[in-house]
Amino acid sequence: MAKFTRRDFLKIAGGYLAGAALPNKLFSTADNNTNSPNIIIILCDALSARHLSLYGYPRSTTPHIDSFAGYSTVYHQHISGGNFTTTGTASFLTGMFGWKHRAINQGGLVLPEFASTNPYSLLGADYFRFAFSQNPWSERLVGQSYQDVDNFLPVTAYSLREGNLVTGVFKNDRTLASIAVDDFLFSLQGDMAGSSILGSYYKEKIFSSFLKERNDSPRYPNGIPEILLGGYVAPYLNEDVYNGVYLELSQLEERHSPYFAFFHLFSPHFPYSPRSEYFRLFRDGYAPPQKNAHPLSPKLNEVFLRSQRTAYDRQIAQVDEEFGRLINKLDRTGVLANSYVIITSDHGELFERGFVGHGFQFMYEPVLHIPLLVHAPGQVTRNDVYSPTSNVDVLPTLLHITNREIPSDVDGVVLPALGGVEDPDRPIFSVYAVDNSVYGPLKKAVIAMRKGSYKLIAYLGYENFDQVFELYNLTVDPEEMFDLSNKETEILSKLKQEFYSHLEKANQPFIKK
Amino acid sequence: MKLHKLFAGRLPDRQSIFGVYAVIVFLVYSWTLFTSFYKLPSWMFYLSVGQILSVYAYAFSIDLLESILVLAGVLFLEFTLFLALRNNKEEFQSRSILVVLIVLISSVLRLILFRRYGDIEAFLSGELVWWLVTLSLGLIIAIFAPRNKWIRKNLDSLAERVTVFLYIYLPLSFISLIIVFVRNIN
Repeated sequence: MAKFTRRDFLKIAGGYLAGAALPNKLFSTADNNTNSPNIIIILCDALSARHLSLYGYPRSTTPHIDSFAGYSTVYHQHISGGNFTTTGTASFLTGMFGWKHRAINQGGLVLPEFASTNPYSLLGADYFRFAFSQNPWSERLVGQSYQDVDNFLPVTAYSLREGNLVTGVFKNDRTLASIAVDDFLFSLQGDMAGSSILGSYYKEKIFSSFLKERNDSPRYPNGIPEILLGGYVAPYLNEDVYNGVYLELSQLEERHSPYFAFFHLFSPHFPYSPRSEYFRLFRDGYAPPQKNAHPLSPKLNEVFLRSQRTAYDRQIAQVDEEFGRLINKLDRTGVLANSYVIITSDHGELFERGFVGHGFQFMYEPVLHIPLLVHAPGQVTRNDVYSPTSNVDVLPTLLHITNREIPSDVDGVVLPALGGVEDPDRPIFSVYAVDNSVYGPLKKAVIAMRKGSYKLIAYLGYENFDQVFELYNLTVDPEEMFDLSNKETEILSKLKQEFYSHLEKANQPFIKK
Repeated sequence: MKLHKLFAGRLPDRQSIFGVYAVIVFLVYSWTLFTSFYKLPSWMFYLSVGQILSVYAYAFSIDLLESILVLAGVLFLEFTLFLALRNNKEEFQSRSILVVLIVLISSVLRLILFRRYGDIEAFLSGELVWWLVTLSLGLIIAIFAPRNKWIRKNLDSLAERVTVFLYIYLPLSFISLIIVFVRNIN
């Protein structure tokens, strides 16, 4: 396959950008012989709902998403099934909680028996199915059903680096090859490359391909954003990535109907490196409620937490602006009229209790509460849903709106306002269990259970922190300031009982007889 | 004709090439196995035994390619630069082993020293000097060290001892190639 360079991309993108100015319905040449709607999912990695002005954050981080909400259904209490990419994305794709799909380790995989429970396999060949994940761990998960993806871009697409070996040479065994090649033999950072000579050569080749552009970007005073996960490295510019998203969607519109397109975009994930103009934002001295450092946290000081929070908010502001440009173009070209457009995330980000980031033992709202906005084809008014929903609900909802059967393994239910009914008392789980084997019962984990107004957080198996529970009433205490586990003992006991009964059921298939 | 005869007398025999390849295989595969032990605990958490073996199949396939490339490099040096040396035939094995040791250690050292992404500039800016020093040092040592009988004897003995690894790694590599091929056919 011919190498697709960044320069090639810019040439083509230039043409498409010019084309975007043309009248509505430009891209209507595809045969549309079914009534199935197109589905576009834009998942922004590590985008916490708690940092979006849409959900009441005091900083105006997301004016464009706010405006998109004006003709979408907004889910106000949408919760991720995990607090880092693997578990969160796997829950989103499979419609199952982490203790069932078992993609619980960093870079882990869904159990083989559930590898076909995802939109790609279940929507079937009637749909043209497209995938682009900038996050290598999410790419691995989609790669588990690569045979059901009709166009599967590499992690490095629209980035500043050259393509990678896996998608060039081992594309039919994408997931395992990525573990062996990208993350081990030719690891670019972190652990040493397993290939002594070729690993070193590859590192030189890849780094040389982007070093100049990486270092000479005056518009990025803090450096350009980079994908740094496991052995992967890929610097990228959000403007290129979002232009790429539009380019791909334009091509899908032109050539396929119906289509399903999933974009897992890396920003605003750490490192937070917004463009220079966003550095002017949020010099407001905003001080969020101060919370005591968690016993398991590295106890980072408050000044550092606030500086990171501001950097993150600026990164969100840039993502929002890119998103706004994209939505405007999609609107002008008629895409919004015939497509479901879903905006969400895989998990949030935390800047409190002595910790920055995600993916550790912290299951507080900023890291679990994620945005969900669904624009239905032609929708012109806003709709709000306030009852708790989970990202395991997205898959059954997609299957419902496309008239497909929902597999019985799926934990999620059809989202309210899209065919489902509100159920405020249904338990919703978020799982963090990186220290467990996929093949055994969960013994060392932090699991959050949301039920009605209450949220139970269970810490299991940690040294000096085993069987510890926290209880919050999110209706009266959305900041989770007051742990009620010692006060509302009756409710705690009831919720614990329910939690253990679900955990036991989830562990059952993994207990050796 | 006389020149041809002279050079023919300096060319290494098959057994010596085999010995050098054994050292290359030993070093290349050992490094891969060593680094894999950092990864193995996490793989065991989420990959099945079959999947872990498949990861090793990729590793051994790449190692096979890498070992052949290194051998090709050594033979290239042999048939160009070292052919002019008088005792080339006797010293080939030890000389080539020294070249291989120096180049591989140098490459591995780079991977160890610059493993962090923050070292990217140091990794790239010192690249030319690093390899010039490595090659100069390698050539000087490779030309002079084999003249010492003790060094030659020990390097030849190393080659002899590690030959056993060829009988383990090469069949495994061919099986690995088949596994990788099968996994990648559509």
